Amino acid sequence: MGIDISRLRRQFGSFIALDDISLRIGDGEFVAVLGPSGSGKTSLLRILAGLDQPDSGSVQRDGQDLLALDARRRGVGLVFQHYALFPHLTVAQNVAFGLRVRPWRLRPKAAVIKARVDELLRRVELDQLAARYPAQLSGGQRQRVALARALAIEPRLLLLDEPFGALDAQVRVNLRRWLREFHRSLGITSLFVTHDQDEALEMADRVIVMNRGCIEQVGTPEQVYHRPATPFVSKFIARGQAVPGEVTASSLRVLGASWRLEGFADETWHAVEVHVRPEHIVSSPRPGEGLPARLLGVRHVAGTTLASLQVDGMHEPLEAAWNGHDGGRHASGERVTVQFQALTVFGLDREGRVCARADCHTPHLASPVVSGPWRRLEA
Amino acid sequence: MAVVAATISIGGRPTWPISLARTVLVLCALLVLGWLLVLPLLAIFAEALRPGVAFYLDAIRQPDTLAAVRLTLTVAAIAVPLNLLFGLAAAWAMTHFEFRGKALLGALIDLPFSVSPVVAGMMLILVYGKYGWLGSWLEAHGVQVIFALPGLVLATVFVTLPFVARELIPLMQAQGSEQEEAALTLGANGWQIFFRVTLPRVRWALLYGVLLCNARAMGEFGAVYVVSGHLRGLTNTLPLQVDQLYEENFAAAFAVASLLALLTLVTLGIKRLLEWRHGGELKGRH
Repeated sequence: MGIDISRLRRQFGSFIALDDISLRIGDGEFVAVLGPSGSGKTSLLRILAGLDQPDSGSVQRDGQDLLALDARRRGVGLVFQHYALFPHLTVAQNVAFGLRVRPWRLRPKAAVIKARVDELLRRVELDQLAARYPAQLSGGQRQRVALARALAIEPRLLLLDEPFGALDAQVRVNLRRWLREFHRSLGITSLFVTHDQDEALEMADRVIVMNRGCIEQVGTPEQVYHRPATPFVSKFIARGQAVPGEVTASSLRVLGASWRLEGFADETWHAVEVHVRPEHIVSSPRPGEGLPARLLGVRHVAGTTLASLQVDGMHEPLEAAWNGHDGGRHASGERVTVQFQALTVFGLDREGRVCARADCHTPHLASPVVSGPWRRLEA
Repeated sequence: MAVVAATISIGGRPTWPISLARTVLVLCALLVLGWLLVLPLLAIFAEALRPGVAFYLDAIRQPDTLAAVRLTLTVAAIAVPLNLLFGLAAAWAMTHFEFRGKALLGALIDLPFSVSPVVAGMMLILVYGKYGWLGSWLEAHGVQVIFALPGLVLATVFVTLPFVARELIPLMQAQGSEQEEAALTLGANGWQIFFRVTLPRVRWALLYGVLLCNARAMGEFGAVYVVSGHLRGLTNTLPLQVDQLYEENFAAAFAVASLLALLTLVTLGIKRLLEWRHGGELKGRH
């Protein structure tokens, strides 16, 4: 059951939009395809919708070849980023479109169409606006009309292209929650494309992270966030930042400190990349212990302090995320000492592919630390 | 002028050099338009009505003139729908497909604008005339193109070819094909997409193009002049009739000219009316 995507390839001139993509989507799953622009996510969506054909590869739905069906007969609902509503039709006529264009043998009676449209508009909470034209609606309302229109044909797969891309922040957050609930009540297999990490992590059952036409990682939001499989996922999702590091027999040396390294397959890797996340850079409980650094700047964003740090011995500044209480004590230009609480190590082979990865936690501590040691002192 | 300047300046800022420039430019434009367009047009009507209304009605009730009116309307009635179809097809092809020779097609659509109508008429004579490439074949099959209705229609179609296509292409380009794609995923077939999605979106631009095309079709002189043969009551369209009358009966010529001008003005009047009533949609409401 579900959708089976196998070895999909699509090339535009010399640009490879999809490079050997294989993927399974389970029945009723809500999947996010997350990636920066140009990562191939929209190409994947268009191929699934039947608006584009891959150069090679196959897509099967319950054993049936989906690529052999043209877009009209595929039973795939697509919600466009800019909605693509028909401006000359009312909201109700827009929603009824997919039913009215059916061949007459399959076309429901006018009364049935009307009942179905009313029902759908009630579900997307737009029954009061049925007689309006799209130009008279707000962005969030248009989005819901587009959704109702796509659902009218009772698709077996629902695709959403950047569903919140054209909305302002407030509407976006509300609609996210609404769409998540809506999907639960429908249970229809859905796939949405986004470049927004928060959106993907908050809404999806499973996240597919794409970069340059390849799938970097497939996993639950927790997995991709807490255990990124590649340096790209670490950077893109968890804002991981590279720090210089060396691996020697079961230990990792980073800026003079030694970390215990477990589960890191030795000798297969050619180079290592070590990442630290903003929330894992904490200020030292005891001055003089840890890494000396200079505070370049402090920004306060919604209860969190984002500190830009120039750690001695490093070229690039690092960004640390502190909660308001800790961050408030520091001013820019000040000298501070910081500690890394956790690091992620990626072993790369000669082609740059990840062949080993490990998570390390604070040196001298065997078990992972959730909050910094200074918290225990304060308690 | 001070009043004009005061009403133009917005927000009470001292924008007098700008408002002065604006006033001068607007006045210049109105003056030029008045001098070159409005005055001559009024002169035609004044001249036409000078010998009196009775004479005017007599002049346009001449059988030859009525035949010319009929012929002009017939030619327009054939040429305009042909160009409507061509314009739609060409605009659709230009905006929805990638194909070799697309740039060439774009240039060819503009060709009638750049070729002198007289040359267009000559080209038709070269191809369809008695001694032209197809002349002997056409004669053998009893088809007369040149000096007959088919020639007049061909010449008119050639000259008015770009109007509809040029009106539609920029609009279709700006609109993109997302709505057509949406219709496709909703299960619509090609005809349904065209009639339910594409056509409604371009209907006002299409009508606009058709009206312009019609105005030009009725007023065309050069190309038609070459292929007509000037047979009074048979192959004389209104503009040709005016031309012939001008040589012999000055006042009657003006009467017929005013009739022609009136036909065109009615077309432009309809256009203005549509713009006024559907202004928002003409601007391409999305």
